[in-house]
Amino acid sequence: MEKAVKIRTENLCFSYNGRTILHKTSIEFAEREITAIVGPSGSGKSTFLLTLNRLWEAIPRCSLQGTVAMNFDGSFHDIYREGYPVTRLRRQVGMVFQIPNPLPMSIYRNVAFPLQLKGGLTKETIRAQVEDCLRKARLWDEVHDRLHSSALDLSGGQQQRLCIARALILQPEVLLLDEPTSALDHATAAAIEELLLELKKNCTILLVSHYLNQVTRIADTVIELHNGTLVRKGEKA
Amino acid sequence: MRRTKEHAVEIFFVFSAYFSALLTVVIFGFMLALGLPLLAEGRIFSIMTQPWAPHLGQFGIQPMIVGTLAISLLSMLFAFPLSLGCAILISVVSRGTVSWLLRKMVEMMTGIPTVIYGFVGIFLLVPLVREFFAAGSGMCVLSAALMLTLLVSPTMILFFCESFARVPDSYGKAVLAVGGTEIQKFFHVTLPNSWPGVVIGFTLALGRALGDTLIALMIAGNAVQTPNSLLDSARTLTSHIALVFAADYESLEFKAIFACGIFLYLFTTILVMAVRLLGVGRERWAR
Amino acid sequence: MGEVRRLQEAGVLVFSWLCGVLLLGAVIAVIGYLFVHGWRSISLSLIFGATPPLDALLMKRHVFNGLFPAVVGTLSLIVLSVCWAIPIGMASGIYLAEYAGAGTKAFLNLFFDILAGLPSIVVGLFGFSAAIFLNRLFPGSIHPCLLISSIALAFLVLPYIIRTTQMALEGLPLSARLTALSLGASKLQNITHVLLPQSLSGIVSGVILAIGRCAEDTAVIMLTGVVASAGVPRSLFSHYEALPFYIYYISSQYTDREELATGYGAAIILLCICMVLFLTAFVIKRQVSYHALYRA
Repeated sequence: MEKAVKIRTENLCFSYNGRTILHKTSIEFAEREITAIVGPSGSGKSTFLLTLNRLWEAIPRCSLQGTVAMNFDGSFHDIYREGYPVTRLRRQVGMVFQIPNPLPMSIYRNVAFPLQLKGGLTKETIRAQVEDCLRKARLWDEVHDRLHSSALDLSGGQQQRLCIARALILQPEVLLLDEPTSALDHATAAAIEELLLELKKNCTILLVSHYLNQVTRIADTVIELHNGTLVRKGEKA
Repeated sequence: MRRTKEHAVEIFFVFSAYFSALLTVVIFGFMLALGLPLLAEGRIFSIMTQPWAPHLGQFGIQPMIVGTLAISLLSMLFAFPLSLGCAILISVVSRGTVSWLLRKMVEMMTGIPTVIYGFVGIFLLVPLVREFFAAGSGMCVLSAALMLTLLVSPTMILFFCESFARVPDSYGKAVLAVGGTEIQKFFHVTLPNSWPGVVIGFTLALGRALGDTLIALMIAGNAVQTPNSLLDSARTLTSHIALVFAADYESLEFKAIFACGIFLYLFTTILVMAVRLLGVGRERWAR
Repeated sequence: MGEVRRLQEAGVLVFSWLCGVLLLGAVIAVIGYLFVHGWRSISLSLIFGATPPLDALLMKRHVFNGLFPAVVGTLSLIVLSVCWAIPIGMASGIYLAEYAGAGTKAFLNLFFDILAGLPSIVVGLFGFSAAIFLNRLFPGSIHPCLLISSIALAFLVLPYIIRTTQMALEGLPLSARLTALSLGASKLQNITHVLLPQSLSGIVSGVILAIGRCAEDTAVIMLTGVVASAGVPRSLFSHYEALPFYIYYISSQYTDREELATGYGAAIILLCICMVLFLTAFVIKRQVSYHALYRA
């Protein structure tokens, strides 16, 4: 069965610091799949993710041409269209970074933070959602009794799951993950992989990774970034 | 709703930045506008060269220009070697706690009020100078320069230390690796590679020395004369402003202090420009 | 050959220690002289004169032969100046660090560098002439006063606050900058919720150093409304006294030993205020980030 397309790039060119990372790349990502992006280190895999939530715009000396269209509510939207609301885009396209980046706040406020930024919700709703997301990220049992202590006291694996919970609270349709397990030990990495498999039921996941065994374990599609283009390497049967 | 609020705040950011920048221009504009009657009649040259003799209708500020330069340059003459020595002591010679403690003391010196230096200058330094040289009142170029040395040295020392620290450690390791000592490393690697920083530190300190009011006002004696020796009393541009400003607003005497203001503004602006040019040079030097 | 080198090294060693001892010796002499001659005058009556302290604090009675009016004057100056300078300075710093392009930043920074380099007497002269100018516009209502002084002082410390805000924000790592944005924060939300709190320690220590500058500056205020005797300032538009000016004034105009002793006392108080501010800035720079921020 051919899956619906979620993200489509057309003639996407991206350069950073004068170095070309993508050159006229057109590719599609299927909905509710885990797509792994592999490639030699330093080829710009992580930077590629930033073109999908326009986060590169906050980094100096980047430039981009071409279009990225995403399927929200049944039709494709060009996310680089003039006046496209970038904050809404980033709520729909969540991101988890390579190095866990909890903010210097309590555990609870970290997870609730995106909702507070969005505004307009009651405290009870927020509380319920925080608990829900912490459960989804399998962190609830470990932290429910110390929600108001600093997030920075958590272990690396806990911090990364916290970041995933924080990304999930906005109920994103796309989740970008930049080597989310590379800073973690085996057991924690396995827990996060399992979590991703569950998340893909409602979410399109793009995963940058250079662990081949991780890729073969969980990815539905593998794409290689090489010499400025993305090439489809294979699909799971 | 939120968009408009955010937009209003962002407009405030832009407004503040340009307001602050404009302020710099407005200050100069005020000096120029109020000093203009004196300068407009083609008297810039006479202002710069004439003596100050209001009763004769002469409003030259030449003695004050000389006084300012004499006091500040003399203080730099004392302060530069002193600061270089202290910076070497902090960055090269001493280690660990001693170095840390010395640096903290120097940092703390930047917080001592100028008026305190002036006050102690009057009651401690001036009598010492008077008795040591057995001439004059002790309120002189030398006393002011000595006190000013204390004021400007911390600026220089801290800037020197910072410049030394910016020299990549790998260079120095090369010297140590072939059996050089810390002091050799300093003279062969650190100092040659940080001289633009040293010049910037010097320039910044000179700016402070030129712009200081209280020390010269309190202990240089304030006589309106071109000083001929270190023990002569002198008046700086800054003290001149402080001493004359109470005059009648419409008089030429009063207008003349704006000429002092313009000179001080230009002096310090030139120094700032020099620092910026050197700073650009330093970036290039570092590469 | 080796002999010469060893002599050179010893020379450098001796020279640098000599410089260090000279500088520290001089500073210790200055501070020591002040304390040796002034400690005797430190007492409650130095500040409150013959008036009971509580009455003075509650403004029930005037203090005539104490430093109370000067202390109040200096404190009002600090509070007012910082009130003017913080919003404008922080906003400018934020604009420079977060909004301005490289060209604009270099252009604006040139002006701020010049402003930072201006001698304080020039800023004072500006404040004074602005007061005359305003007096011409609104005859009789504006003359040199507490308000004019505080605005002029605010201009003097503005570049400090701009620079520390800018530096603190620019010093944040890229990762701190991207986190909230990736969670759907707008640019301004990112600044107010994440970037400013994380750079607070730098900004606060800059503000405290600016306070120190307001406390010690004499040149600006002597041109913009400070006087030797005015009592506690009644309003923004009145003359006032201030500690640094009092010290200057006493040093040249004292008539007897007692007045001079008050001058020493004022100098010690001012020095202590400035040192306490300096130490606070130093401690905050290390501590603030640990205390204020990680509570939710």
